[in-house]
Amino acid sequence: MKRRNFIQSAALSSVGVPLLLKDFKFGAITKELFKVSRTAEDRVLILIRLNGGNDGLNTLIPLDQYDNLVIQRPDILIPQNQLITLNATNALHPVMTGMANMFSDGKLSILQNVGYPEQNRSHFRSMDIWSTGLMDPAGTTGWLGRHLDHDYPNFPDDYPNASYPDPFAISMGYEVSSTCQGLMANFSTTVVDPFDAFNLQESSQLNDGTYYGSHMEYLATMIAQANDYGAAVNAAANNGNTLSTMYDDNNPLAVQLRYVAQMISGGLQTKIYIVNINGFDTHDSQVEDPGTPAVGNHANLLKSVSDAVAAFQDDLNLLSLEQRVAGMTFSEFGRQVAANASLGTDHGDAAPLFLFGTCISSQIIGPNPVISDQIVDQAGIPMQIDFRDVYASVLKDWFQADPTDIQGMFEHTVNFIPVLDSCNLGINENKLAGEDVVIFPNPCGEQTTIRMNSKNEQVIIQVRDMFNRLVVDVCSKSFNEGSHDIPVTLGDLPSGEYLVVVVKPSGNFTKRIVKVKHI
Amino acid sequence: MIQEEDIEAPVSLSLTPYSGTWTKVQAAHLLRRTLFGPTFAQIQQAVADGMNATVAQLLTLPAVNEPLAVDPAETIAAFGTSWVNSVYPSSNQPLVNNAREYSLGGWMMERLNQPTVSIQEKMCLFWTNHFGATASFDARGVYNMHQLYRANCLGNFKQLVKDITVDPNMLFFLNGVSNNQFAPNENYAREVLELFTVGKGLQVGPGDYSNYTEADVAAGAKIFTGWTVDGMLSDTLTSPQAVYYPILHDATVKTLSSYFGNATVNNADNLEYSNYIDIIFQQPNMAKFICRKLYRWFVNYDLTPAVESTVIADMATTLEANNFNILPVMDELLKSDHFYDVTMLGTIIKNPLEHLFSILNSTHSAPSFDLATNYEMYVNVYAFAQTLGMDYFRPPSVGGWTSYYQAPSYSRLWANSSYIKLRFDLGTYLTVFTGIQVNGETLKVDALALVDGLSIPNNAPQVIDDIVDVFCPKGLSTVQKLTLKALLTNGLPDFEWTTQYDDYVANPGNVTFSDPVRQRVEFVLYRLFQMPEFQTI
Repeated sequence: MKRRNFIQSAALSSVGVPLLLKDFKFGAITKELFKVSRTAEDRVLILIRLNGGNDGLNTLIPLDQYDNLVIQRPDILIPQNQLITLNATNALHPVMTGMANMFSDGKLSILQNVGYPEQNRSHFRSMDIWSTGLMDPAGTTGWLGRHLDHDYPNFPDDYPNASYPDPFAISMGYEVSSTCQGLMANFSTTVVDPFDAFNLQESSQLNDGTYYGSHMEYLATMIAQANDYGAAVNAAANNGNTLSTMYDDNNPLAVQLRYVAQMISGGLQTKIYIVNINGFDTHDSQVEDPGTPAVGNHANLLKSVSDAVAAFQDDLNLLSLEQRVAGMTFSEFGRQVAANASLGTDHGDAAPLFLFGTCISSQIIGPNPVISDQIVDQAGIPMQIDFRDVYASVLKDWFQADPTDIQGMFEHTVNFIPVLDSCNLGINENKLAGEDVVIFPNPCGEQTTIRMNSKNEQVIIQVRDMFNRLVVDVCSKSFNEGSHDIPVTLGDLPSGEYLVVVVKPSGNFTKRIVKVKHI
Repeated sequence: MIQEEDIEAPVSLSLTPYSGTWTKVQAAHLLRRTLFGPTFAQIQQAVADGMNATVAQLLTLPAVNEPLAVDPAETIAAFGTSWVNSVYPSSNQPLVNNAREYSLGGWMMERLNQPTVSIQEKMCLFWTNHFGATASFDARGVYNMHQLYRANCLGNFKQLVKDITVDPNMLFFLNGVSNNQFAPNENYAREVLELFTVGKGLQVGPGDYSNYTEADVAAGAKIFTGWTVDGMLSDTLTSPQAVYYPILHDATVKTLSSYFGNATVNNADNLEYSNYIDIIFQQPNMAKFICRKLYRWFVNYDLTPAVESTVIADMATTLEANNFNILPVMDELLKSDHFYDVTMLGTIIKNPLEHLFSILNSTHSAPSFDLATNYEMYVNVYAFAQTLGMDYFRPPSVGGWTSYYQAPSYSRLWANSSYIKLRFDLGTYLTVFTGIQVNGETLKVDALALVDGLSIPNNAPQVIDDIVDVFCPKGLSTVQKLTLKALLTNGLPDFEWTTQYDDYVANPGNVTFSDPVRQRVEFVLYRLFQMPEFQTI
């Protein structure tokens, strides 16, 4: 696959597109423009940071574990009849109507039990790990910063420039995002209000090679960048538009996301936006009263997130931008299975992660956590999906980065999971000629399909478990030359990882698939 | 930009007393790091007094007045009297508490706006950052916690940790009040190890953080059980008090990990927390953790391996040798060869309070109106600092402000594109715009006081040189100085400034002569406050 330099391509397209955007208000022309711009070059990623460690078990409730959850967290567990049921075994917190509707519309994907090995329960260390995507404590570059460094190794020297006039990433609020920390500088520009005009005094500073000199150069560069990027952001905001009536002005996250929609619709070429919501460290008063566990701090936070994301998605739909934008939540950890005595929960381990947009691959990835009927001191939810694989997969599916390059950005062996690839259909079909085997959906439920090219030859297809034991003998027969779709029934095999093994004279393939209970 | 590893390393890594030249460069460096914006006169005095006498003065703590009732919503304490030991009314307590928080916020800004040469307020902010506790809903408790920091700011660190463990505001902040034997709450037990004492080391195994383990966190939670708080917003008790209830305490024997010598902690009721903290302080890595934080606060963010093995190790040795008393460590550090190393000048980008008060203090600006007006002006300054990212009552997390721990940017986080714009805007506001206006009075830079206090105020080049000495750790280029001088003289020959200034001195109280002088100096400050050279200490 040809490596796509997504930002470069986006910038090149500015020769035609944004000139138009500067001259016209959106409504009339957006649809036409963006019908054709579905490729990775135009794509935007939204990160929503749930700061403090979100209690996954009161966000996405595993209904098949409900009886044991009653034992673990009797005072804070929400009555089953108040939950929003997604399917037979999963339900959302009752305030999350917006995201539940997105789930029904196929615009919300839930990855279960996301975390990393050997959970560190320090907020600070864990947020560092989630921001860098590295377990090495010496690592300071962010996962998106490394991706951008790969393409723009000299940043911030000589940026912005004519080819790249817009910020590579925008962090809404007053703080740059550590996810965008590059080797030399942070790629994210902070934006509080995109309608703010910047006109800061600039001055050129010499770096005398000391800490002080380094600060002087940083400040001078940053002031110049603030002016240039500020002007670009300002122009985009004034050119842009938002259409949804679902945004609530009293919901700070909704306000931030509306600004993001405004900037995207105004033609800003920024590829990454980071928004933040604080308050998830619910050691106490997570629920207001044991009698009304669906009310309280955690409910308010989840409502803010759900309402804001639903409004944003609605807006993207009205602006015909849905195919260009995908979003992801993250939080430094989940919380312990058992509640504490303060109507709260202490720092835990893995938790669900949400992806949203029209290009999601699957609805629920990964099995429900298993909850014990015994209270085990300090127990958290064990990790099943490594968040670093989610990051790597987002880079691959959404930004179409090269898998070899992606591997170079992480210290572990990357295992790609399809997360945001459903809009890549055209790309996948082209790809098949070279890659020979595609399995879809993956992760899958009881059924999946193998799409395979063959010569006129004998082909053996098997599914094996991770101990290399044969679990499904799919077929052993001759195929004509061409592309074939072979259905595979996994039936009631336990959820988990399996290998699809294809043996044929023209080349063997082994592909990893993930079976989940419900999809 | 240049890579961090290519930055020029300090020549000296020694804590032996500095014996080089003692000029305004070194004196101003010392005062910038320990005060919130020295004046020209203070720098001159420090040059005259010498290093030892100046450090001795800095390490002396002044007596401090209490915050006063100024808001009409305060219905218990009389206007202009202290409320810190006043009960609350039996209804509408939150309204009264708002009034007290307002008073406390104003008072804290007033504390930073003093001409006193003492490290006290810098240390108080340091401890606020170190313990990271947010204000609870009883302002008396918030005041008491800050007084604990202020009174013990150079005192015994071990005792401070013990005191803060059962401080009512902290008991609320990290859920000590709801930590009991029936369901321990780990919040305080984790942070006391991770952030307050030994610090987290590398994670070397599941739940194993080198200096402590998850099991230690769980054991600590049990050790800390039994404490709660009485008297919040009370109409009978004059301050919130920590109270110990044996029935809530986990009386089992707790065993700590090998990092604490597998020590057992037997039931000792209300003294058990103190015994546990004694054990924590025996940990070999204990002293280094707080020394690193002091170093980052007062010297430089970059803890290179060389700095670790020399400066930090030596500071830790001093701290241990003095049974965890902070004063000897600060005394040694502020007189050390390393502290005055030329590469350590200007290494810290000012935090918002350093930024605002370097504007106000260095220009002799302080509100001197009626009590209520003064407090309201200070509350405005508090809000400015909050807007710039530093809400004194409410650090963003228990870890304190990110600029003091987030690699690799550290203090640069104070100056991203959003914040730098606000800094410039507020600098403009306090110089050439209206300033803070309350009840018809104005608080902004006192340009006349500034210029009157310089060495030769009617000499334009000298005025610029002196101003640069006050505000810029490593000076300005000749071109930049000429830019500022042109603003001072309005582009006219230097003697025109001399004439203008002499006329102003000859006509005291006549705004026809003072206004042009004031305006020219305000223009200079307006431009200077937007220069990168002004942003560091």
